[in-house]
Amino acid sequence: MLTTHKDASVMGIIFPNTYDNLVPQLVAERAMAAIPFAGRYRLIDFMLSSMTNAGIGNISLLTRKNYHSLMEHLGSGREWDLARKHGGLNIVPPFAERTVTKIYAGRMEALASILRFLEAQKEKYVLMTDCFQALNMDFKALIHEHMESGADVTAVYQVADIPDGAKNGNYTLNMDETGRVTEILNNDYRTGKQNLCMNIYMMERERLISMIKESSVRGQRFFEREMLVPNLHILNVRGYRYDGYVARIADLKSFYDENMRLLQDDNIDQLFDKNRPIYTKTRDDNPTRYVEGAKVSNSMIADGCIIQGTVENSILFRGVHVEKGAVVRNCVLMQDTVVEVNANVEYLVTDKDVLISAGKKLSGSDTFPVYVAEAHTV
Amino acid sequence: MSKEMVAMILAGGQGSRLYALTQKTAKPAVSFGGKYRIIDFPISNCVNSNIDTVGICTQYQPLQLNEYIGNGQPWDLDRLYGGVHVLPPYQKANGSDWYKGTANAIYQNIAFIERYKPEYVIILSGDQICKQDYADFLQFHKEKNAEFSVAVMEVPWEEASRFGLMVTDDTDAITEFQEKPKNPKSNLASMGIYIFNWDILKKYLEEDEADPNSENDFGNNIIPNLLSDKRRMYAYRFDGYWKDVGTIGSLWEANMEVLDPEHSGMNLFDENWTIYSRNPGLPAHMAGKKSCIDNSLITNGCEINGTVKHSVLSAGVVVEEGAVVLDAVIMSGTVIKSGAVVQRCIIADNCVVEENAAVGAAEGEIAHTAAGVTIGRSAAVKAGAKVYDDVKEGEEVC
Repeated sequence: MLTTHKDASVMGIIFPNTYDNLVPQLVAERAMAAIPFAGRYRLIDFMLSSMTNAGIGNISLLTRKNYHSLMEHLGSGREWDLARKHGGLNIVPPFAERTVTKIYAGRMEALASILRFLEAQKEKYVLMTDCFQALNMDFKALIHEHMESGADVTAVYQVADIPDGAKNGNYTLNMDETGRVTEILNNDYRTGKQNLCMNIYMMERERLISMIKESSVRGQRFFEREMLVPNLHILNVRGYRYDGYVARIADLKSFYDENMRLLQDDNIDQLFDKNRPIYTKTRDDNPTRYVEGAKVSNSMIADGCIIQGTVENSILFRGVHVEKGAVVRNCVLMQDTVVEVNANVEYLVTDKDVLISAGKKLSGSDTFPVYVAEAHTV
Repeated sequence: MSKEMVAMILAGGQGSRLYALTQKTAKPAVSFGGKYRIIDFPISNCVNSNIDTVGICTQYQPLQLNEYIGNGQPWDLDRLYGGVHVLPPYQKANGSDWYKGTANAIYQNIAFIERYKPEYVIILSGDQICKQDYADFLQFHKEKNAEFSVAVMEVPWEEASRFGLMVTDDTDAITEFQEKPKNPKSNLASMGIYIFNWDILKKYLEEDEADPNSENDFGNNIIPNLLSDKRRMYAYRFDGYWKDVGTIGSLWEANMEVLDPEHSGMNLFDENWTIYSRNPGLPAHMAGKKSCIDNSLITNGCEINGTVKHSVLSAGVVVEEGAVVLDAVIMSGTVIKSGAVVQRCIIADNCVVEENAAVGAAEGEIAHTAAGVTIGRSAAVKAGAKVYDDVKEGEEVC
């Protein structure tokens, strides 16, 4: 296998907080990477699983804030096969020390805090990524392509419209006919298909280390803007087009839409490729119980739910209860939401442990889903 | 270091009355209640009762069971000292032997138990569906200053003669043991769950082994020997849900009872008594636009587009549009294709029921299949049928 070759060894670095500001509701008490998705997962599950499925077993998470729920979710990393003697999961919270006294602002500052760790690793390559997307990517193919092409940096992109929510937080790539990146644009607002950067980068570990040292000398903080953009003439940065399934969370609306999109066609099969399972924390829920009188259609329902009422076009996370006479339409109900007797909800996003009390009616619209924050009672 | 009580689960039986279901797997590894295996119940009971050292005696078709138990992590039994251990018979310096009987299975593992220097040993059965607090049982055993205690259930008098019965005095001390008697003197049936003081158990196991006429069985040998020696023996009454799922009928029935926890008492939704299991890691299930699901348990990974009523579906079951599943137990990965009707039956893992096939009937015995078989297009598997192999297109199986 490719990844057993010593030159093909890769370590992962994930930034769980990037673009937190786009979904203030969902990250009130969690990091972007800990946002629940698709009934029983969190965004981090997709990235970690993609990495471990490609044989990457040394992964560092550079958290910035609100990382408690993420740490609770990940534990020792065992569920992703990352509780390992060598490498495994390495969660790095911000650390105030002599040279870094405030929480970092950019990727390069964050990386500076693990410089010595990086220097001590043995992997030849680094796969560096944010965590605002649910995807199931074959990283083996990316690693192979990076090695074959001789690129200094490989940047993954998709050809897509720039989501409304991401107008103020995106990079797009312009490439020449050979695939070499000639220009990186920031906060691109153009309509139509663009080469939308997925913030997944691959390079040699030694190169990243020298970039970190360089940036620290020059007081630079940002990887794309300050490391790549000014150096495109000397750095061979190449684009790697990804055509697989991507759910990009750019705001609350896209969070809702991307959950809903899993109900269409075979999207679920694309995201949950049987050869590359997505792992997550187990909760030991019982199977979902449909009680007599339940009416359910076109919905994705995780284990541990009890359904006595009506559910249509909805995503139910683990442990949701829909009581007798209650109606749930076009909703995303996160774990342990309870919809009591005869309540009627539509176009609703509930966070964890929300209670919709008996007989209450609440509805948003398809363009404006109503959000109920964690542990609130309506 | 020592452990107060070690649990030993007898999981070596073939389960021959489960016919095709246990052709290639041991009975304790058979699926139950959507996402569990039978053995999850005794193991989870141990963990919930603070017993962290569990030996599982296996010998028949142990592959799946071994893999399923693994290092015991799903039950929180991956421990530095103790934890769960699968114990097959093994070769010894002076020869080797299969487990000759229930008592012999424990006898052959005396060395395992001794490693933990326990005061008590609880003997459990790997083929029962039951939620029981063994800590409470142990408390009883200690309070009675017993040397041996057996968990018993009151059964209807008219059925009593089918069971091993404990005749007790008004202090619950056992005065007599009747194995399936014609004229029962008691209606307290043994559940096959025993607590022994370890020194007593060890002594009786060794004596039993030395007796060439013994069947090496707890019910037939050890317990009668204890009685004749007038040991301090007590019956611990249990009145919760308990089911021996040794037959196709009782396994099906127990699954159906899970669907009705309000009446049956088998509640898998009990937050204070979680039943743990190994997670297959599949996405949430999909109830499609054409699905009609009523009074059923559906597990992760299922895709339902047909009709499912009063049924239990394990992980990754596919029910296509136009298929009907009624009063059925469908194990993981099985596909029920369009137009097929599946009724009052147990279909094992990874089977395919092709278009317009019919399995089971509204009345009569419960039909069942082995794992991995294909029921051909328009084939008919009648009530009570045992399907070991593929059924060809249009074929009828009785």
